[in-house]
Amino acid sequence: MRIGDAKQSYEADEAIWTSSTQKIWLAIFLLALAVFPFFADSYLLYMGCLVGIAVISTTGLNILTGFTGLISLGQAGFMGVGGYTVAWLSLNTALPFPVTLLLAGLLAAAVGILVGLPSLRVKGLYLAIATLAASVFLHFIFAQWESVTGGMGGLSLEPAHLFGLTLQSDFEMYFVIVPLAVLMVLAAKNVFRTRIGRAFIAIRDRDISAEILGINLLRYKLMSFALSSFYAGVAGGLFAYFYRVVTPESFPLSMSIFYLAAVIVGGMGNLLGGILGAAFMTLIPEVLNLLTAALTPFYPNAPIFMSPMLEIIFGALIVGFLIFEPHGLAEIWHRIRRFFSLWPFRN
Amino acid sequence: MFESILSKGRRLAGIGSIAAALAAAPAMAQDKEPIVFGGSIPLSGVFAFAGVHLHAGLTDYTSWINGEGGINGHPVKYVMEDTGYEVDRSVAAFKKITGSNTVPVYYGDSTGFMKTIASELNSRGTTLMSGASFATALTDNEKYPYQFIPGPSYSQMFGIILEYISSQGEGGDKPTVAFVYSDTEFGKDPIENGKAKAALMGIEVVEEIVTKPGSVDVSAEVLKLRRARPDYVVFHGYVLSPINEFMVQMRQMGLDTQFMGTFWSSDKLIINKMGADSDGYMGVMPYNYYDSAEGGPMLDALRAQAEKSDPDAGYRPTGYMQGWFNAMVWTEVIKRTMDADKELTADNMAESLASIKDWDTGGIIGIPVSVQDMSFPVGRIWRVNAKEGRYEPVSDWIHLD
Repeated sequence: MRIGDAKQSYEADEAIWTSSTQKIWLAIFLLALAVFPFFADSYLLYMGCLVGIAVISTTGLNILTGFTGLISLGQAGFMGVGGYTVAWLSLNTALPFPVTLLLAGLLAAAVGILVGLPSLRVKGLYLAIATLAASVFLHFIFAQWESVTGGMGGLSLEPAHLFGLTLQSDFEMYFVIVPLAVLMVLAAKNVFRTRIGRAFIAIRDRDISAEILGINLLRYKLMSFALSSFYAGVAGGLFAYFYRVVTPESFPLSMSIFYLAAVIVGGMGNLLGGILGAAFMTLIPEVLNLLTAALTPFYPNAPIFMSPMLEIIFGALIVGFLIFEPHGLAEIWHRIRRFFSLWPFRN
Repeated sequence: MFESILSKGRRLAGIGSIAAALAAAPAMAQDKEPIVFGGSIPLSGVFAFAGVHLHAGLTDYTSWINGEGGINGHPVKYVMEDTGYEVDRSVAAFKKITGSNTVPVYYGDSTGFMKTIASELNSRGTTLMSGASFATALTDNEKYPYQFIPGPSYSQMFGIILEYISSQGEGGDKPTVAFVYSDTEFGKDPIENGKAKAALMGIEVVEEIVTKPGSVDVSAEVLKLRRARPDYVVFHGYVLSPINEFMVQMRQMGLDTQFMGTFWSSDKLIINKMGADSDGYMGVMPYNYYDSAEGGPMLDALRAQAEKSDPDAGYRPTGYMQGWFNAMVWTEVIKRTMDADKELTADNMAESLASIKDWDTGGIIGIPVSVQDMSFPVGRIWRVNAKEGRYEPVSDWIHLD
């Protein structure tokens, strides 16, 4: 039984992994992620890649909304910037895949800074509307700037190449998307061990107090927007390489709402929450489909009945989380961990 | 209310009997390996209004063909999953279904999905795909060699409409036309080709209006049309709104403009929602309507199967006809490939599809049809008779060259 962690230095207090138990489980988890593609079929690999992309984007939004307290409905737009950037670069230049992905993140970050400017004046719902307007504007550009974006028909990409390999199948894309997702979550975790991350949290908790403490609101709010949009841009770039086609309809407003819901369901201001939320939101419709498939042998009309029901169940699950577990899936996870940490005693 | 519930119950009982028949089909048929029809079907989401009927058409056809002994003795199994009309879920369904079955033919629920899956389809080379999309882009054989359109593309629909409009000119004068379309990939699809075709035929496009799909307030756009005074307004990229708004407002202004639409806006929804105001609205339709006066062995079989599977359903929408026709084409393609002693690969099936010339569809389409650029460029203009509550043909079948 482990009853606690004695921290005897500031370094120990700041450490990401605080115990050997944590390190062992993390190693097992990473190993499981590494061997997963060798056992998974095409469908599971596809879902794995989708979750990976969702984790990157949700982590980005979590930095902005969960940690800095700035609500954004522009995530799909930023992903679109990333998606179109890699599509255009791969079609018009000979730049290697990692460079196009990096440029996608940087361009999205630049757009994020522009979109973030109103955050100095407005916050809460007003900021949500401002970012929504930006998202609509970006969608308009995707649809109308035909010479660059291909208009409503969009752009089709050739597969990405890395170290002489053609990244065509889900198996190959998995080994790009998932390690990148792990690295980006780790990077985000590190951000919150620095002055920058703490400034974000201070702004979220009370921006006036943060300013009095010497935090430059303009700088840090825009930095948060840039960082969040960078994540979205990279996720969008991966999305484009994964599906190999981008159209304005690839990045609808509902996608922004999806990621915001993932942050809320997972647990705002908690990176683990972002990961769990992204996985939950991506996989739940599939789990409910499996339920339908399981019912079909006994009740052949299950698809007809269950399909509309699934949307209701999905919605009810989200509402249920908001009511009964407002701290999200991360809190449930922490409770489970506490239970095993303190077992056989009650916490 | 109670009657409605009762009617739904009966309908579901009917669907249950189809499913039971489906389950029994392999036993009734042969010991040969079943042929799987796969499908990403939008039973929920924004396209569910059509998805449930597409699904019913595919399900009923499967029952019917199994009752006829399957395809060359092979029973048919229809495996589908709901997608909510979302591309990522459609792809997931495709991966799941093709991962656990050998699927020679597959139904795609949207243009977005069909474009997205194209690269995988091309690299697999195992599956031929068609679906709910009539997108012109899919007629590009280089890019989409294994995807076809079970009817005319949207551009070809415009071509058929313009052929009809051209034939309505009097004394050498060509009627004028306006295009009203939605600001979507779907809406913009045929516009450039439509304008080019109109120019070629000497038909003047006097106005072009773009709206949001489902717009309600179109009074400013109506004023533009009043100034332009087109003889015909062709709508595209909508299911209902704002077509009804345009029609009502323009008629209130005393304009004698005629209104036309393409496949997804040419079903009974417009009659049911607009009532008497829908009278005279015209649509291009590649298939005979379920309640048309036309007949034919396959059309009769379709009606009998629909009646058998759900006696209370009554009229079957155009989505049902589309689902049935899709499965008919798949069957024909598989049969031709098997008869030629070839494997069911995408290349062989695409070759069989391209070989379809003057094919008699048994009344589903009123004339023999041929495949051209992976589509069936044929259709007919139908006009709403609001009093009778149905569409009636006002042109012959038009097969584009």
